[in-house]
Amino acid sequence: MSMSKEDDLSSNSELLSDVFQYLLDCIIVDVASESHRIARLGLDRNLDEEEEELRLSADARARTSETCHSSEANGKYIVDIFGQTHPPIANEIFDCMNCGRSIMAGRFAPHLEKCMGKGRKARLKSTRSSTASQTNR
Amino acid sequence: MSRRHSVNRPPTPDVRDDDEDDRPKEPTLLEIVNIKLIESGEKERLMELVRERLVECGWKDEMRALCRAFIKKNGRENVTVDDLVRAITPKGRASIPDSVKAELLQKIRTFLVSVAH
Repeated sequence: MSMSKEDDLSSNSELLSDVFQYLLDCIIVDVASESHRIARLGLDRNLDEEEEELRLSADARARTSETCHSSEANGKYIVDIFGQTHPPIANEIFDCMNCGRSIMAGRFAPHLEKCMGKGRKARLKSTRSSTASQTNR
Repeated sequence: MSRRHSVNRPPTPDVRDDDEDDRPKEPTLLEIVNIKLIESGEKERLMELVRERLVECGWKDEMRALCRAFIKKNGRENVTVDDLVRAITPKGRASIPDSVKAELLQKIRTFLVSVAH
């Protein structure tokens, strides 16, 4: 070998960077090889865009259904797609057009049953005979 | 159907006639150092160290993401290792953190000094 040890030292800085580049290139090849293997063996679940779309929408559906279930089971309110909650009983108040009383919207139907005499337990402000004929079905 | 080989190997060089008359080819300095690195086990240690550092700082994740993007763009059946290496080497060399580079250079320098004596 014609190169002496002193030559090693004198061309040191170039050698240093050459060795550095060489090691770096080895590592880059390793990473590229690993990614190549994963891609070719189909081990990367999300590589296909369509697959990922399907997976994301399935996840989203699962998440909304679990929110629905949890609110029905636990809390009082159901959350809709706009994030709004509605109380289980509608609480807007207005006046009944039959009797003129202030009624809560959610209680309006049962009120009307009694108010207009159509329900089973409704009573009209009338004689007992007419009430009996109406409620007897 | 012809398939591209995943790794392109350069063809084995033909033996030329003048080699029989001249002295055998000189190994380059880099080749000598590489042999010494491997024989002493230092190459293995350095590689492990650098790999660990590059994982810690997220460099490897960046490179993997670049590879995935390249593969997605070109179709995973058409990509070779060489393609990927060519695709990530510029960014890979440029995005080595200075601390990792300094640490590796220091260790190489130490090794070269120890080999020279």
